[in-house]
Amino acid sequence: MKKRFAVRAVAAAVTVGLGLALTACGSNSGSGGSEVSSGDYTGPKVTISFWNGWTGGAAPVLVPKLIDKFNSEHKNIVVKDVPMQWSDIGQKMPLAVKAGKGPDVAVGHGDDIATYAAQGLVLKADSIVKSLGYSASDFPAGLMDAGKYNGAQYAVPWSVTPLGLYVNKDVLQKAGVDPSSIPADKTSYEAALAKLKTAGVQGEWVDGYVFTGTFEFESLLWQYGGDLFDKPVTKATFNSDAGVKALTWMTDLIKNGYSPANVAQDGNINALIAGKTAFNWNGVWQTTNTAFGKLNWQAVAVPQIGTQKAVWSSSTHWMFMNNKGQDKNKTAAAATFVKWMNDNSADWPKTGELPAKNSVRDDPKLVKDYPALKPFLDELPYAHYEATAPGITSVEATITTAVNEAVTGKKSPKQALDDAVAKANALIKQNKDTYGN
Amino acid sequence: MATDTDSLVAPRETGAPRPRGSARSARSTRSARAAARRPGGRRRTGVAYLFLAPFLVLFLVFVLAPAVFGLWISLTNWSPFRATQSFVGLKNYIELFTPGSTTSGDFWQSMLATGIFTVASVPFLLLVPLLVAVLLNQRIRAGSFFRATFFAPYVLGVAVIGVIWKYLLDTQSGIVNHVLGMIGLPDNLPWTVDVPWAWITLVGVTVWWTMGFNTVIILAGLKGISADLYEAAALDGAGAFRQFVSVTLPGLRQVMTFVVTITILASANMFGQSFLLTKGGPGNTTRTAIMYIADQGLSQNNMAAASAMSYVLFAFLAIISIVNFRLQRERAEKSAS
Repeated sequence: MKKRFAVRAVAAAVTVGLGLALTACGSNSGSGGSEVSSGDYTGPKVTISFWNGWTGGAAPVLVPKLIDKFNSEHKNIVVKDVPMQWSDIGQKMPLAVKAGKGPDVAVGHGDDIATYAAQGLVLKADSIVKSLGYSASDFPAGLMDAGKYNGAQYAVPWSVTPLGLYVNKDVLQKAGVDPSSIPADKTSYEAALAKLKTAGVQGEWVDGYVFTGTFEFESLLWQYGGDLFDKPVTKATFNSDAGVKALTWMTDLIKNGYSPANVAQDGNINALIAGKTAFNWNGVWQTTNTAFGKLNWQAVAVPQIGTQKAVWSSSTHWMFMNNKGQDKNKTAAAATFVKWMNDNSADWPKTGELPAKNSVRDDPKLVKDYPALKPFLDELPYAHYEATAPGITSVEATITTAVNEAVTGKKSPKQALDDAVAKANALIKQNKDTYGN
Repeated sequence: MATDTDSLVAPRETGAPRPRGSARSARSTRSARAAARRPGGRRRTGVAYLFLAPFLVLFLVFVLAPAVFGLWISLTNWSPFRATQSFVGLKNYIELFTPGSTTSGDFWQSMLATGIFTVASVPFLLLVPLLVAVLLNQRIRAGSFFRATFFAPYVLGVAVIGVIWKYLLDTQSGIVNHVLGMIGLPDNLPWTVDVPWAWITLVGVTVWWTMGFNTVIILAGLKGISADLYEAAALDGAGAFRQFVSVTLPGLRQVMTFVVTITILASANMFGQSFLLTKGGPGNTTRTAIMYIADQGLSQNNMAAASAMSYVLFAFLAIISIVNFRLQRERAEKSAS
């Protein structure tokens, strides 16, 4: 009996397994456009669900307030706020949307849009953008394009988060560098580093992690005129001369004693706060860092090390989800919500992000309320956003590996970048198979 | 599903009554007694299955079914984004064993990292707890305080110990390097940034974190060894060391087999420590197999390859476990004869 039972149990398990497999195979969804008649939704009352990854910082207080205000101003729309971890969103979205249980509208990172779009999870937003009256000139240069995939618009911009240079002014003062004229170009920046070195301070701590080594490398790559990928993202190009120059400049900081070797994760921002270093390349989100409270600090635009101005920035965007049997009224209501949110995003800097909408950012009140953001706003005309291609985040991970290997001295900058590009190209090819064309 | 399993595990053919909680009635007590008089083996098996049923259902739904499903995924070109998946036979496995394919280099590097970590950590995770358990088994003052102290780190989550040690082991501002500097040793060791230091960190932190668990199990084993045996050994003139070798170690054999097996499996499944402390660096040197599989399967949606990798890792662990059990059994037989 025991044996027979075991056989049966396995048989049952196989049946269940195959059953799951077949169900998973069965679902499919086509992608289609959605019609939005005008900017303001006038149809019957609907409840729309809104997924976002705003679980930390000021957002959990700010977002419910905004949504309450929106709901009270719009009698025929109820927005349901569903915050969860970003990584959870990425894992739940495909199944939820295909089962018709996903959100009507969601906020996603720029480098996730194409991944979602390639799976048919996101509605084409060309007509929505048109009906809301948005054009590329309503947002910083290049930001609308960051929501495009295969020539179609899939996302509407919400926020941008460029890199900047954070400065501990007390450290500069002590080393005899004038804190009122913070270096903005290669010559003065290196001069300041040399002066700091003579005073016994290692001025910029270079690390080999996403925060902040990767973002600094990408900024420098663009400053030297290079790019991460070719335009249609079929080939990685960050091992170009520009890339080698950028990474070599970073490793030279270590070689010249301007940076210690083997900086651990977050070691550099902690050192800036502890007064052990003067400069740190970091994102605008650090402006809300409470540890800066006692610090005599300032943020400025990243210095121009290469031949042209450029800086890394990430972005977040609104996406209208293509649920199985998506109700057009809900999508139209979501569009109204998105427009209202963008118009009312003046307090979004509280979360350490810049509102994407130009009219909100250009309002003098913003700089008056958040003076530390001025340099970041000024950077936007030459900011570069993340590449859009399905599965691009896995390819971007190879850049961090290269930076890490070069910064820890495991490989020369050229060797590290060449190896990473070979790997990146293989992954791009693999993504083609995974996501189809 | 639940009803299916019920019918599977219910002792239908035996004709034995199902225990339905009606023991209050005299009739059922009588029939139960009557059943007990019959050759009772089958009936008891039925009841045992009934008690096991809840676990069995969970096991089938959450362990066996996904495992079978995973095996099937590993034989297809599975993509969660395509409507249809096609069967590709052993292609995913062959790619893992083909140098130069997208996954093979990274996968075997991560297997090597897992191997290095397992080989380096398991001896410490056995010897240190054994030593601590023997010490705690002495009649010492505040014994339960020390027991609690050694066990304490184990109750912390990996996220907590990751954050704590990241601060302590920071290259420039960590306390560990600061203390080393004060006593005249190098104060710039890259504990989490470069090898071999990163390996020392991962092994050391893991030993500190999980040794309490092994200690408690071994301690329980020590308590189970009869004091008479020590007394007899002492009468025969055995010193402390001889008693340890001839009484303690043989007495712990069963327990040690268990501890060795679960420790190897736990070390081979290491993920959180690397993920938090070293980020797999420098480069991808300390990226473990589980870390790479999770990245491929869950972050990069490369599920077919990730499933194949899981099964390769599973094969390795199964072989190691079987060899381990065989060795222990042979030793037991040898010492018994």
